[in-house]
Amino acid sequence: MAGPGAAERNGEAEATAPTFSDVLRANQGMVFSIAYHFLRDRAAAEEVAQDVFLQLYRSFEELQNGAHAAFWLRRVTSNRSIDYVRKRKLQAAVALEDAPEPSVSEEPGDPMLNRRLRALIGSLPETPRMVMILRYQEDLMPEEIARTLDMPVRTVKSHLQRSLAMLREKIGRSMGDIR
Amino acid sequence: MEDLERQLKNALARKDAPDWFEAKVMASIRRDGGVQARRPALRWRWASALAVTVLVIGGVTWQHERMVQERAAGEAAKARLELALKITRVKLQRIEQRLNETERDN
Amino acid sequence: MKIAYMAFVALLPVAAQEFKIPASLDKLADKATEVVDVTLDGSMLQLASRFLSEKDPDEARVKRLVAGLKGIYVKSFEFEKSGEYEESDVAALRSQLKGPGWSRIVGVRSKRNGDNADVFIGSDGGQVTGLVVIAAEPKELTVVSIIGSIKPEDLRDLGGNFGIPKMEIGGHKSTGAKEE
Repeated sequence: MAGPGAAERNGEAEATAPTFSDVLRANQGMVFSIAYHFLRDRAAAEEVAQDVFLQLYRSFEELQNGAHAAFWLRRVTSNRSIDYVRKRKLQAAVALEDAPEPSVSEEPGDPMLNRRLRALIGSLPETPRMVMILRYQEDLMPEEIARTLDMPVRTVKSHLQRSLAMLREKIGRSMGDIR
Repeated sequence: MEDLERQLKNALARKDAPDWFEAKVMASIRRDGGVQARRPALRWRWASALAVTVLVIGGVTWQHERMVQERAAGEAAKARLELALKITRVKLQRIEQRLNETERDN
Repeated sequence: MKIAYMAFVALLPVAAQEFKIPASLDKLADKATEVVDVTLDGSMLQLASRFLSEKDPDEARVKRLVAGLKGIYVKSFEFEKSGEYEESDVAALRSQLKGPGWSRIVGVRSKRNGDNADVFIGSDGGQVTGLVVIAAEPKELTVVSIIGSIKPEDLRDLGGNFGIPKMEIGGHKSTGAKEE
């Protein structure tokens, strides 16, 4: 796997492929966040994130570079998070006041609105929920989301459109219009 | 970009993984009998291939098996030590931070 | 590091009794969303130390730190919401450390964010024989007990291994504001 980072080999430091630790350190926030925003449960998100990295460790030599690792992590985290919900029939749509939030440094925007939006996203069915998270947390384009979740681009766009429409309507009713 | 989309980006901004998440992952890997993570994965592949060859050709001697088990136990203990020290460090840092804040306020 | 300096000046001539994290604290596990429980007695520390590399500067420092220790015990409970543990749980811990040989070198009570924290040093004849950290935050309670010989530079080194940034030892004499 090519990319930045150094690894020790035969006692000499050389610029080589990043180690597992490098990849873990660089991507733990991303993996945890995808799981957390999807599952709305911190302990569950940690459990899923840990499993993802254990799986990464076992598959590490199959990865080609840093970008491939990021793609792999997003895909596996998405799949594992969705599986987690389906297996446990977890109710991720929780009332605003009950939603547990991990301690975070200051977040941008209006905290009340942010919480409301996260709760509404949590109420979406699994697939559109993950599409929204990959779009707005990871800033992926529909084509990239389609590759990550292994679904047609038009399906991704359809999920995005319908989810945005639902959010616009519900936020508009509760907090006034947001265009 | 639409206001709603901007707000969604804010709402879904990445959260930090818990303080000692990395240490816990490494502890799990070592508990499962993995090799030190600082070695490149390729080395682990060679090491495991060698271990399999020994098993197939020579059979497992009692000493070899004991060594493998001891190594796994040692790596697991080392990972737990890492975790304990990291938690201690984080807490002491936070306390020092609070002290500094209090001194500044006074 | 302030705390390292305070530890050095707090040494008492009377031997400190070993501090054990009480098993009664385990009841908090039922309410916690996450529990970290690490127990490393002398033999486990020795075992771990054998797998620390002398060639790696970080691991070598930890190896030196661990050489003088008899045990490291950590219990950390994280909760979904505040108010899941009682002040009496924390008070019971602190009362164990009022015995001879123990001195509290740091006590922080923060009204701003609800964090309370204490650092205790145990000593025997001028040597540090134990370190206890009790960090009581609204949604988290952590207790760390390190038993054994600890030098002030070891406290500094707690920050220098496994990729954690080091802290500098300062010359402040502050004993912490807002103590009880």
